[in-house]
Amino acid sequence: MKTDSPNYDDAIVRKFAGVTVLWAAVGMLVGVIIALQLAWWPANLGLPWTTFGRLRPLHTNAVIFAFAGNALFAGIYWSMQRLLKVRMFNDTLSAIHFWGWQFIIVLAAVTLPLGLTAGKEYAELIWPIDILIALVWVAFAVNFFGTIAVRKVSHLYVSIWFYMSMIITITMLHVTNSLALPVSALKAYSIFPGMTDALVQWWYGHNAVGFLLTTPFLGLMYYFLPRASGRPVYSYRLSIIHFWALVFLYIWAGPHHLLYSALPDWAQTLGMVFSVMLIAPSWGGMLNGLLTLRGAWDRLRTDPILKFFVVGVTFYGMSTFEGPMMSIRAVNSLSHYTDWTIGHVHSGALGWVGMVTFGMLYWLFPRAWHKKLYSEDLATAHFWLATIGIVLYVVAMWVAGVTQGLMWRDVNADGLLEYPNFVDTVTRLLPFYWIRVIGGLMYLVGVLIMAFNFIKTANGTTDANLEVANG
Amino acid sequence: MGVIRDAASQATDLGWLMGVMTVVFLGVFVGWAIWAFMPSRRAAMEAAANLPLEGDES
Repeated sequence: MKTDSPNYDDAIVRKFAGVTVLWAAVGMLVGVIIALQLAWWPANLGLPWTTFGRLRPLHTNAVIFAFAGNALFAGIYWSMQRLLKVRMFNDTLSAIHFWGWQFIIVLAAVTLPLGLTAGKEYAELIWPIDILIALVWVAFAVNFFGTIAVRKVSHLYVSIWFYMSMIITITMLHVTNSLALPVSALKAYSIFPGMTDALVQWWYGHNAVGFLLTTPFLGLMYYFLPRASGRPVYSYRLSIIHFWALVFLYIWAGPHHLLYSALPDWAQTLGMVFSVMLIAPSWGGMLNGLLTLRGAWDRLRTDPILKFFVVGVTFYGMSTFEGPMMSIRAVNSLSHYTDWTIGHVHSGALGWVGMVTFGMLYWLFPRAWHKKLYSEDLATAHFWLATIGIVLYVVAMWVAGVTQGLMWRDVNADGLLEYPNFVDTVTRLLPFYWIRVIGGLMYLVGVLIMAFNFIKTANGTTDANLEVANG
Repeated sequence: MGVIRDAASQATDLGWLMGVMTVVFLGVFVGWAIWAFMPSRRAAMEAAANLPLEGDES
């Protein structure tokens, strides 16, 4: 029976990969429940703990920090040990990172339904948990940079740079945006006043998308796509330009969340211009990913892992075209506060983050557990359920968002609002909210199929041939 | 009051700084691109691109 290489710590990879699947199911189940609540309000059960306002932050925190976060850590621990040809710097720090992170997730799952919140989007957790996050993150950072310090390969492959940008930037964002004066064990007030607070919040919020859901996932793409396809990245030089251009431009784009607000005009324009420029490195990266498959496109017909990667990278290209467009003032005046934004976020989250994670997990699970994947057919079924689910979700939200935006700005011949009653727009959107429930449910069912496939894989027979496949 | 306002507006007029920064950043970008695409670096770049494919055991 094949066992772990003594040179690497793969037990930590199995832990992170396992909980990724668990939290995916939990986070997406909550997502489907709140989607149902928007289509059919009695689904809030009439209880304060299960209303939309409390479950929505639970959903976003679970999918961003529990699902995507753990997926990143699994991929990073696997790939960095192999790229640097050295075991993680310190196993205790790895364990602190794993158990600390899961403890934080459990605390979030308890406090958010209780209504305990800091009131900042994607940074809802209360101040004691914020401190805990900072401590666990520092343990991860020390472990990461310690591993780099003792590495046996002098060149730092581009994926490592992408991971590094996440660790440094998330530290800076989390600490700054969480600065607050506690007034009790559960309540604190932000130290920033008014508009400054909003700007810091969206500097944090947009770069959480940039440096947690984009750059480290690009790092995973640059490692796992070559591994899965058996060919090096199309242009390593382009990947270097991609990295520096992306991290330089991303950090300025936050103000596009505050167009037409009290933020000074020049700052709004700065956010808009940098957002539009972001399309260049984003598409450079997308093309670099897709062209890696040059000459291997035929394998797309049979290999579910490559299917996931290709659709994931394609959605990356689509949402990084849509994002800059929505940051333009004229477009934003229609799209802002509508469901278009929700559609955009989910084309990035379900399409890019989700699909790349699934592709990585289907590649990683058999190798980390030294078992043959239980069923490729189930993986393919998962792929189609997820892809069709995303399309239903995103198209429904596009139509809903544009309808909503047009109805809000519609005026009659006298210059009065054509739809002064907000409920008029809500009832018009109900069919699309039902389509979203169906799309989200398909995506969730796909994840449950993956979980079943992985449980059967882990309990299955050892595959001696996999050593060859490991290549 | 007018004197103070003029002094304040001059102090906050940082247009020249934005111009200098634009030139510096563009220069860094072009320099970085030239560095990455230098023909003499081709072999090293190809070796780096193959790092993920070198297998799992060290």
